[in-house]
Amino acid sequence: MKQGLYHLCRLLLAGVFIYAGFLKGSDPVAFAGQVAAYQLLPYAFNYLVAAMLPFVELLCGILLLLNRRVRPALLVLFGLNSVFVLALFSVVLRGLDIDCGCFHPPGSEVTGTSPQMALLRDAGLMLAIFMAWFLRQQQAEEPLDG
Amino acid sequence: MSSIWIPPRRVLLEALVLVLVAASMGLSLNHTMVMKAFTGESVAPLPNISVQGAEQQFPVPVDYEELDELLAAGQLLVDARDPQIYATAHLPGAISLPLGEADQLMTEFSAKYPYETPMIIYCNGFGCPDSFDLAVRLIAEGYIKVQVYEGGFPEWRDRGRQLEAGAP
Repeated sequence: MKQGLYHLCRLLLAGVFIYAGFLKGSDPVAFAGQVAAYQLLPYAFNYLVAAMLPFVELLCGILLLLNRRVRPALLVLFGLNSVFVLALFSVVLRGLDIDCGCFHPPGSEVTGTSPQMALLRDAGLMLAIFMAWFLRQQQAEEPLDG
Repeated sequence: MSSIWIPPRRVLLEALVLVLVAASMGLSLNHTMVMKAFTGESVAPLPNISVQGAEQQFPVPVDYEELDELLAAGQLLVDARDPQIYATAHLPGAISLPLGEADQLMTEFSAKYPYETPMIIYCNGFGCPDSFDLAVRLIAEGYIKVQVYEGGFPEWRDRGRQLEAGAP
């Protein structure tokens, strides 16, 4: 049961972050535009983030999928997710009406997610990260049977 | 037994290595884009074909900083968003040419504005493709001086600039 829940969280996070990383990584210039819309960074740094962030998401996702180095990957995702939450909060507080740039493929017809919805989704991801971490730590201390 | 929530030092170290590896992968694959951004060159979303003769395949992007000068020079401002959204608020002086209705409105539009009219298209900012698509549509129609303001409506509004309301 516990192990099932652990694998569920792990695979869910793997899927989400591989998908997100792949979408953003395949069009970094468009993603930089979405980062710029947050108006948090100086011009060129939006591109720096757009160049690196998708690969961090991808690598974490792949490690979770392979069930290797799960805790370091979860730790990094926790850090990323915290930054996303803070950035989204600042967007809501400043009343900006932007697409969150989370999963929306740039240039597609699909309407993006509002910052409020994105915050809700990040809360769900945070929960999955905590559960996976907790269950993995237990495993590390006393391996689960079955 | 340490708390289950405190990461062991090895895990912290591995997380750091993970970030470094991923960041260098991203940097090495996208170094051209990042270098251009930091040296101030244009990082156009699409190949920025320069104007050769009267032929132009892609619209030229315009920054917020250049916008005022161009508008003062009398460039036509075109709103590519839905007419209902245009009616709630738009940039002062902008005319409405929604991408969705461009085909029906094109005859009327081209009768009113000659092909040499310099114009700037905008929509809902970075990530909104409509202004670019409309610009390509106008260029295909025969317009030769088409530019796209990528920051669009959100950037204009968030900089506290004046807006206008009213149906097209």
